[in-house]
Amino acid sequence: MTSTPVRPASPPVQGAAPPHRTDPDPGGADPAPAAASTGMARARGALRRTPGQLRLVLVLCVLATLVVGLLGFQAGRVQSSALEAASADSAQLVGVQEVRNALVAADATATGSFLVGGLEPTEQRARYDDLVDTAAAGLAELSGSNAADSELLGQVASDLTVYTGLVERARANNRQGFPVGAAYLDQASTILREQMLPALDEVVVDDADRVAADFSGVRNALWVLAGALVALAVLVVCQMWLARRTHRVLNVGLAVATGLILVVGVAGTIMLSSASSRAHDVRDGPYAATLAASQAYSLGNDAKSMEAFTLIKRGSGQSYEDAFVEATADAAERLDTAQSDGVLDDTTATALDDWVAQHAEIRALDDGGDWDAAVELATSTGEDSPNAAFAAFSDAARADIEAGAAQTRDDLASAGTTSAVAGWLLLAAGLVAALLAWRGVTARLEEYR
Amino acid sequence: MSTTPRTTTRRTSTRRGARARAAIGTGLASALLLLTACSGPTGADDLRLEAPEPTAEEEAPAPSSTAPVECEDPLASYAPEGDLPAPGSLPSGSTMAEIRERGSLVVGVSADTLRMGSRNPLSGTIEGFDIDVLHEVSRAIFADPDRLRFRVITSGQRIEVLENGDVDLVARAFTINCERWDQIAFSAEYYHAGQKVLVARNSDAQGIDDLEGERVCAPESTTTLTRLEEYPGIEPVPAATHTQCLVLFQQGQVDAITGDDTILAGFAAQDPYAKVVGEAISDEPYGIGIPPENVDMVRFVNGVLEQMVADGTWADLYDRWLAELGPAPEPPEPVYGRAP
Repeated sequence: MTSTPVRPASPPVQGAAPPHRTDPDPGGADPAPAAASTGMARARGALRRTPGQLRLVLVLCVLATLVVGLLGFQAGRVQSSALEAASADSAQLVGVQEVRNALVAADATATGSFLVGGLEPTEQRARYDDLVDTAAAGLAELSGSNAADSELLGQVASDLTVYTGLVERARANNRQGFPVGAAYLDQASTILREQMLPALDEVVVDDADRVAADFSGVRNALWVLAGALVALAVLVVCQMWLARRTHRVLNVGLAVATGLILVVGVAGTIMLSSASSRAHDVRDGPYAATLAASQAYSLGNDAKSMEAFTLIKRGSGQSYEDAFVEATADAAERLDTAQSDGVLDDTTATALDDWVAQHAEIRALDDGGDWDAAVELATSTGEDSPNAAFAAFSDAARADIEAGAAQTRDDLASAGTTSAVAGWLLLAAGLVAALLAWRGVTARLEEYR
Repeated sequence: MSTTPRTTTRRTSTRRGARARAAIGTGLASALLLLTACSGPTGADDLRLEAPEPTAEEEAPAPSSTAPVECEDPLASYAPEGDLPAPGSLPSGSTMAEIRERGSLVVGVSADTLRMGSRNPLSGTIEGFDIDVLHEVSRAIFADPDRLRFRVITSGQRIEVLENGDVDLVARAFTINCERWDQIAFSAEYYHAGQKVLVARNSDAQGIDDLEGERVCAPESTTTLTRLEEYPGIEPVPAATHTQCLVLFQQGQVDAITGDDTILAGFAAQDPYAKVVGEAISDEPYGIGIPPENVDMVRFVNGVLEQMVADGTWADLYDRWLAELGPAPEPPEPVYGRAP
């Protein structure tokens, strides 16, 4: 903003002279437009003559068609970028939940191998290492792929280094036969549960909110249809006027432009609307299925480490068992809802039920006073063991998550392509129609030269 | 204690704060409801998260009265009746007969107090001085020392599990005192411990008096923590269990740990950079906790303890677990005379 005084845009009009109504002859040379006559007056004069009116028609038709093209293009672009964002954000969400699951599973493994006593089984150790690797790599990747999440994820990453440090101290003490090892493991679990998981849950909700915002950005494209209808009205009115004034029934340019706007406008609207309803279906279908499976999997992993803690606390673990029951009931409810909505089949839910039934056997042994047998059952890896049942549940849930995430991504991508194509089609149609309209009207205008 | 009035004001203010927060929570929830009503599903809806209910602020536990409960002689227990009955001829209808019928003796123990009661990470079994005393009781009831069913408890849970009748016995470095006699029953004293401090190897402190201004850890709900309040210059740091104190000590979050010499000896054995210093600042007579209604069981356990002292088992156990504390002292002389 400059503060230099600016001259008024137009010189003050001295008593705005009325047009010369006494001289209606349009062709007559108006000798010297008085200083008082303005451009407005001249334009009004021109509009009283046919070429002037033709020029107005030309401008109106070209503008109307161009507006349809640009509106359509903009609508397609907005929609396809919202769909793209929904796809990226839902992938981020699934990624964050994967990290969460890896962390909870790592903790369950560390706790479980402590339960065995003695030397930690090599495969348990390898599984823990793999899960921590997955979580660490996931955290780095997810912080990079979405700046909005990076602060919280950074916190989790720094807590993860503390967590692994504590687990190693627990191991070192355990290896020397020192009971303080168990206290280190306890502290590690507390950091995981009280700091890392809540932070990740917050990121999950943030991501879900972003996905929700993206989905609501995929609007119905009826206003594109409205624009096309206005343009059609303009074109039709102009053609009727032309037909009356020029005594020619058909102006080919304008007629073709009208047809083009009609066909492409309707087709584009249908395409945009179908993309939007597609997005809606994804949200209620594969996206909902992915979320349900992913949450059930998280809850299952939580419950799995609760099972180990219940046994480690040896008789004082009732609160952990209560947490187990709560987590598995929540997981089952989510899977059942997804199943009754028809987005998931019953594989995962059945696997969950099987595992919970096996868990009841462990509890029956422990509650009956046979702690050693309960531990043996809880740590066995045989074919019919609770661990095998949990692995079956894990596999089923992971398969659901992967399938749902892939379908979400594919469906959103194809809906996005439809939107983008509709946008380009509408733009092209608008430009071509504008050109046709221009040529159609110019041909009439030529006749006045 | 000067902290009492302050605690009270803080409690009222947290309650008021909780109410205000609840009101804000409700307001936010209804605002959210309005918002969601016009802007379609949110991320939380997609995740099917329930709106968080305003959680009731947890009531701070009432400050325990610091005035010690007085009684004539806390060490006095119920005298054993005659000779210890043989496992096969336990008086019918007695608590011991019921336990034998059940097939296992349910005991509340520690699993992380090296030397007294701790889980051996190599074998997975719980072992220690306290545990071996319980094995002797099991032997007297079942003629089999291994009929124990362990319930691992924290110090804070000792009274609660006895009052609820969840366990038959508690042997967990359990100091006999008058206040506890009001709630539960104790056997005669079976070990005499004393409270000391554990400091870093390079510390100059010679005892608890040299720890002015330092952070000293003790487990919650113990006589140890109560006694710390007698040293106003010390900053007490409570932890859930004694072993958590060792974790805090190794992480440099506290400067010293106070506790019974038995427990501290176990810590020093796990950490070569720690040492136990000073004379005992208190007497900690250990007894076995028993539900108050089971007077016959108290008499029975006292009989077992007498037998252990008489046949030399007590001295063997001391040498096996607590030799680091010095040569075996005389076993505590049992005191009886309490009437149910």
